[in-house]
Amino acid sequence: MTTLDHAKVSESRPNPPKSLITKLNMGTGMIVGIVFAEVMYFWGKSMWDRQEAVMENRILTLSMFAWCIGFLIGIGAFIGPFRWLIGKDLTDEEQLFLAGKGQGVSRYFRYCTDHKVVGIQYLVGVMVMLGAGGTMAMMIRTNLITPGSKWVNAEIYNSLVGLHGITMIVALIIVSTGPFGNFILPIMIGARDMAFPRLNALSWWLLFTAIPVLCSAWFFGGIPTGWTAYAPLSVQAGGGMNAFIVTIIIFAISSAIAGANITTTVVTMRAKGMKWNRVPIFVIGATISVAMAIPAFPSFMASQMMAAFDRTIGTHFYDAEFGGSGWLYAHLFWIMGHPEVYVILIPGVAILMEIAPVFARSPLFSYTTAVVGLAGIVGLSFLVWAHHMYISGWLPSLNGPFMVTTEMISIPTGLLFLVLLGTIWRGRPWMKLPMLGVYALLWNFLIGGITGIYLSDVPADDYLHGSMFVTAHFHYTLMGAALTGAIAGLAYWFPKMTGRMLDERSGYISFWLVQIGFQVLFLGMFAAGSQGQPRRVADYEQAFATSDLISTIGAYLVGIGMIVLLYSVVHSWRKGKIAPMNPWGAKTLEWTVPYPIYLENFHEAPVVTSDPYGYGRSEK
Amino acid sequence: MSTSTEHVMHHDAPEVVGRRERLGVRLIIVADGAFIFAMIFSYFYLRNLNVNNGWLPADGHTFTVSSGWLLALPFIIAAISHNFGQKRRESMGVLSIVTFVVLAIGLVMQWSQLSNMPFMLAEEGGFEGAYASMAFFLGGANLLHYVLGTFVALGIAIRTKRGSSTGTHETWRLRTAGSWFTWLAISAVACAITTSFAAV
Amino acid sequence: MSDQHEVVDLPPTPGERLRNAMKARDVRITMIFGVVITAFFVFIGLWFYPKFMPEIMSESMKRGKDVIVYFTVISAPIAGLVIAIALYTLFDRHHGDTPPEEAASFRTHTPIVFVWTLVSAIFCIVAIVWGLTEMNVNSEDATANAKTALVVEVTGSQWVWTFNYPELGVQSEQLNLPVDRPVEFRVHSVDVNHSFWPVQLGVKVDANDRVTTLAHTTPNVLGTIDIKCAELCGLYHAYMETQGKVMKEADFNSWVTAQGGHVA
Repeated sequence: MTTLDHAKVSESRPNPPKSLITKLNMGTGMIVGIVFAEVMYFWGKSMWDRQEAVMENRILTLSMFAWCIGFLIGIGAFIGPFRWLIGKDLTDEEQLFLAGKGQGVSRYFRYCTDHKVVGIQYLVGVMVMLGAGGTMAMMIRTNLITPGSKWVNAEIYNSLVGLHGITMIVALIIVSTGPFGNFILPIMIGARDMAFPRLNALSWWLLFTAIPVLCSAWFFGGIPTGWTAYAPLSVQAGGGMNAFIVTIIIFAISSAIAGANITTTVVTMRAKGMKWNRVPIFVIGATISVAMAIPAFPSFMASQMMAAFDRTIGTHFYDAEFGGSGWLYAHLFWIMGHPEVYVILIPGVAILMEIAPVFARSPLFSYTTAVVGLAGIVGLSFLVWAHHMYISGWLPSLNGPFMVTTEMISIPTGLLFLVLLGTIWRGRPWMKLPMLGVYALLWNFLIGGITGIYLSDVPADDYLHGSMFVTAHFHYTLMGAALTGAIAGLAYWFPKMTGRMLDERSGYISFWLVQIGFQVLFLGMFAAGSQGQPRRVADYEQAFATSDLISTIGAYLVGIGMIVLLYSVVHSWRKGKIAPMNPWGAKTLEWTVPYPIYLENFHEAPVVTSDPYGYGRSEK
Repeated sequence: MSTSTEHVMHHDAPEVVGRRERLGVRLIIVADGAFIFAMIFSYFYLRNLNVNNGWLPADGHTFTVSSGWLLALPFIIAAISHNFGQKRRESMGVLSIVTFVVLAIGLVMQWSQLSNMPFMLAEEGGFEGAYASMAFFLGGANLLHYVLGTFVALGIAIRTKRGSSTGTHETWRLRTAGSWFTWLAISAVACAITTSFAAV
Repeated sequence: MSDQHEVVDLPPTPGERLRNAMKARDVRITMIFGVVITAFFVFIGLWFYPKFMPEIMSESMKRGKDVIVYFTVISAPIAGLVIAIALYTLFDRHHGDTPPEEAASFRTHTPIVFVWTLVSAIFCIVAIVWGLTEMNVNSEDATANAKTALVVEVTGSQWVWTFNYPELGVQSEQLNLPVDRPVEFRVHSVDVNHSFWPVQLGVKVDANDRVTTLAHTTPNVLGTIDIKCAELCGLYHAYMETQGKVMKEADFNSWVTAQGGHVA
């Protein structure tokens, strides 16, 4: 069976198999999901009719899980495992149907195993989440425009803070590895698909089920705990907290699956000749990041399960009266939480390291250094979690060691700067949209990194912890570095993913609005934090008025810029300029395939003979 | 276990696909391991802190130590029987049924342990303390492992019976399932050791 | 750096290579940029930033501020270098729809990687040693003052702070402290986590349910302290604040007496 035979098959419309699979799609999923949730809800009501918070939480939590399971059943996620169970594996036609062969747009609404479809699904999903999170950020800043504005009340404000936080964190975790890790990465390494296509679809649809659950938090009293959901506050919180817990558990499963899938793909499915030192740096970064999530996220899941048990059946993991401890939550949370910020950051930086050589027409400076830098960050990130707990009172004697490990992260981080600077040095930068991201990252990540050193230092953290300074710091790293990288990646790979160029003029306008607004917003917030404004406050004193007003103005600029970007993406996707196969003259494999990309990516399996950074004059 | 699209989507040899699936399952085991580790960490963390002397209240009840080990036993037997079977394929027919039956018994035992917890507070309907909470949680994780293990064992038993369990590819799958059963046994033993340290 | 300026005969020594590299026009301009930007950041750190800090009313607060100020100064050269290089490359931009001409093909340069790593390691060690020293001074102060310290039990509850002076028999919702006397805050909570933050004193510690955590400091300036909660603690977290006063010993004693307490 050669690949050419397949090409012929793909042109003729195949006969879809006459099995249940063909009948299922997102609509059936939603119907079954809603039915499951309703049945669970009313059954729960009849079982536990007492009007107690514990019972309410129990019913809500179970109903939310029922929705997720029902949806997955309804969309056909369990058909594969079930058919395996009864010993009737899926037939070739069914596999092809699942891969979306000859289905047009409808495959985006099915349980489709094609990695390119999953990539687009992730892209749209991430954009929706960023839009929702961004809108909430605008509302937060609007409320903080003047002291005592009372634009929203404290309850809604706290919910906004929590929902903005968790929506953005989830969105940023998948913002690079979701769309580009699924769509681009397999083509980049010359693979025909992901290692586990069905798991790939599962990871996306699991995440999809979590989105309505998270949104439902609004109707059950919001998430009044911030995204960190510290216990015992989270145990005390109202019904919206259940939504948070279910979302996190679903998301942890989804990211473990996606992590195992991407890692396996990269380890076992690289094209012939693609040795480890010829793998594009984005692939290395994305793999490292998702592989890091595999051991990190389960501890978050455990922490949320404990919170769920505390809330629904009366256990005492976090209740000090019965021997529980809030510190336990903080440990479990930050053991996940600190690797997690690098899960967010590393793919963003890796995208820009992929972009810099293309637009400076110069090889990636010191590939080994880049890999060592990324690996060093990963290694250290598992040893630093308690720097979030300097002032928690838990074993102050360990603050010293954690300070040492935390500050050591500045060394591998510095290596990443060296790689980027070495790459653009003596190059002639081609000022396209993606390249602008490299410069934005250098500035933003510099500020984020240096302020991180202040916070890692115990005497300074004694003052700054829990203040707006911290908020500004991590927005500089997560938004200024990781999101900038992802947007640059979108501009860079947009031609490959949609077949059209991203509109340049609106792209530039958006870039400058967002970046300038971002500086105004968060430099103002640094000032507010230094003055002593705690984070997550619905109201503040006159002393902070100027800093907060400046921040809010910056936030509106960012907001307008993001709307322009959204316009740019939607407009270009529909009627942008048709893109040539390789508009940037790049040398990675994804630019060797024409749009629309053939179902199995390559007509003939590519063979790699060098790394993809062979730019530059060959004088030597 | 996870996918079988290779007939169409991948043109790779069964060994290649088999290694790939094994790596994927091992990565999932890493994730599950991190989860179990987080629970064991929590167990000893709360036990050492013993906030408000609430780990095990003065009149508190515990699971018997032996019950923890008894519940690890089916996993161990299942791991041995499956791994033995996948090496000697002629005995797989019987051994796959043994594996399934043992795990199903374990599932029932675990369920009955969790439905007869000695440390529930009668009036409030809550748990006695942090030990009780942790023991319940560890038992719950065990239950989840039993469900997943039983599912896989049932599938293997049916497939062996139907004869769909032949060929190189299936051999690799049985080996991969072997890693999974071995891990289940290891994690059950780890949980049993953990719950052996009940009182402070 | 590239060695395009050398003449072939003898292999140049490292010193010569460095000197040659320094003569390159781009290196010189970058250096000038770097110096200017460094000076800018030093200015920010020494003069501009401290303006945003509230009044400094204790040694611990001063240490925290010093760390920030001096870390800014120390990291200024790094920031200067990074921004200077990035800025310099922007002088020769390329526009249009076709890629620019290829740049020099230099893939790596071991001495530079080595020096960069070494320098950043040195910066890192300086930061670590500095931080550990300051932290040690803080905790040594605390130990030295343990006997003489005024004990204040701080209770966080949703959403008020209460202060109890067990040695003086006073309970109050206002925190009054005598100047120049060491104080030990014993902090706990009766519900969810709070974080006790007397802003101008530069210390902070979480309030946990049924666990007592400690914070030590010595207020050394008369004035008002803002007390805030730095850990999200529910609905009125933003309003969980009060004010305290650092007062003269005599004023403090008369306040204690007025509250029905006894002066030790």
